[in-house]
Amino acid sequence: MSESNKDNQAFDPFEAWRGMRSAGMDAWAKPMTEAVNSEGYAKASGVMLDAYLTASIPLREILEKSMTQALQQINMPTRSDIISLAERLTQVEMRLDDMDAKLEELTRRPSEPSPAKPSALKPLAAKVKRTRARKQ
Amino acid sequence: MTSVSGELDKLAVQFAKGELEKAEERLRRTSRVLTTKAAIAQTPKQQIWALNKTKLYRYIPVVPEAQRHPVPLLLVFALMNRPYILDLRPGNSFVEFMVSQGYDVYLLDWGSPGPEDRNLKFDDYALDYLPRAIRRMKSISGATEFSMLGWCIGAILATLYAAVRPDDGLRNLLLLTAPLDFSKKENITFALWTDERYFDVDKTLAMFGNMPAELIEYGAKALKPVENFVGNYLRLWDNLDNPAVVESWHAMNTWVTDNIPMAGAAFRQLIVDLYRNDRLMNGTWVVRGEKVDVRRIKANLLTVIAGNDHITPACQSETLQDKVGSKDKELFRIRGGHIGIMAGSDAARTTWPHIDAWLDSRSGR
Repeated sequence: MSESNKDNQAFDPFEAWRGMRSAGMDAWAKPMTEAVNSEGYAKASGVMLDAYLTASIPLREILEKSMTQALQQINMPTRSDIISLAERLTQVEMRLDDMDAKLEELTRRPSEPSPAKPSALKPLAAKVKRTRARKQ
Repeated sequence: MTSVSGELDKLAVQFAKGELEKAEERLRRTSRVLTTKAAIAQTPKQQIWALNKTKLYRYIPVVPEAQRHPVPLLLVFALMNRPYILDLRPGNSFVEFMVSQGYDVYLLDWGSPGPEDRNLKFDDYALDYLPRAIRRMKSISGATEFSMLGWCIGAILATLYAAVRPDDGLRNLLLLTAPLDFSKKENITFALWTDERYFDVDKTLAMFGNMPAELIEYGAKALKPVENFVGNYLRLWDNLDNPAVVESWHAMNTWVTDNIPMAGAAFRQLIVDLYRNDRLMNGTWVVRGEKVDVRRIKANLLTVIAGNDHITPACQSETLQDKVGSKDKELFRIRGGHIGIMAGSDAARTTWPHIDAWLDSRSGR
């Protein structure tokens, strides 16, 4: 079956080239992987990143400062204002989540009898539920 | 004689035309695959909780309740990649597989941190976000015990939680390609790149706030430059006439190019506390004033190691087995790469059934 399939396959002039390319890729991949796994590569990439950061940080600070001043002049919120607002929102979300957890615990408690003395707790739970319903 | 030559000319023109049309079609396909996003994460789910950017999803069960495993399964993925790699595409989705096996599956999506999240640490993720998501999951499922699967950085978070909160109902802990032990630095390329002699983490974060997704993506790809920057695209070009390979490539490329930044403080912890000082394994990692002691982990433990993992070499995952307090523990080695063991074409025949078999016997009442 595979033999007949082979016979039916059209001649592909690029097949040999592809084979050479794959062999070349394999031969190329190993030394490249070794190269990036070397002290030299780590040092070179560190130097490049450091050079970029050294040049960019002062520019970024100047831009941020002037932008903050400009926004304050026209009574607009600055980046740090928005960030602090977003942080506070997350805190509010956390408080809400805590309240949600407590509420869930409270609403579940009366209907969940203790496995130790279910019969003794049932009337008490019902009483608590009734009292709560009246209060609401 | 003239007519023969005329026929030959015609044939040559037809051949050239056919080849041109084929080349045009191949270019069109390549362009589509490179410039569009594949339809990924298709398993039906419902969002059941959210906090800040983090969301918890529950996958809609397809197995009747009576036949389902009563212990829910929570999936926790890395902070700097999208979690939909666990639900890549229909027919090649771990989530879809586990849901069909009767698990109640939940997925935690950390979301993409903004500038306001630059101070989020592992402490916050493991002790604020994770316990709250687990509380919600328990409330929805009605279960008191649960299983947690952590993959990559998600495995660090899962380990951290299991060590600091061992009595919160964690029955089964599954760690996939978990970077936990940083002692053998000579085997870990990232440890070399982020060594304090070469990489100034504070200066980088002073510039960016959060660690940019582009830098993380470049770092992951540069580990195997020829395969990732050249071989990957040649594989697509060679298989353009094979729709199955093209669709699979498209889905994976969609995920690979959809990275997210990592919260600055968490990234700093990863580099300083873990990569440089190996604090988790040597027992000196303190989160929120609590020492992280992996000996306190008592959940059943399955550690999955990828044999060809160049991101997390085996030496980073295997030593945990000897340190945890768990009585029931297994180390499962499998051929494949960091992502391939769960999202590759062999995963459905190798990794997933093993995880299912391991969990199945530990997820009963």
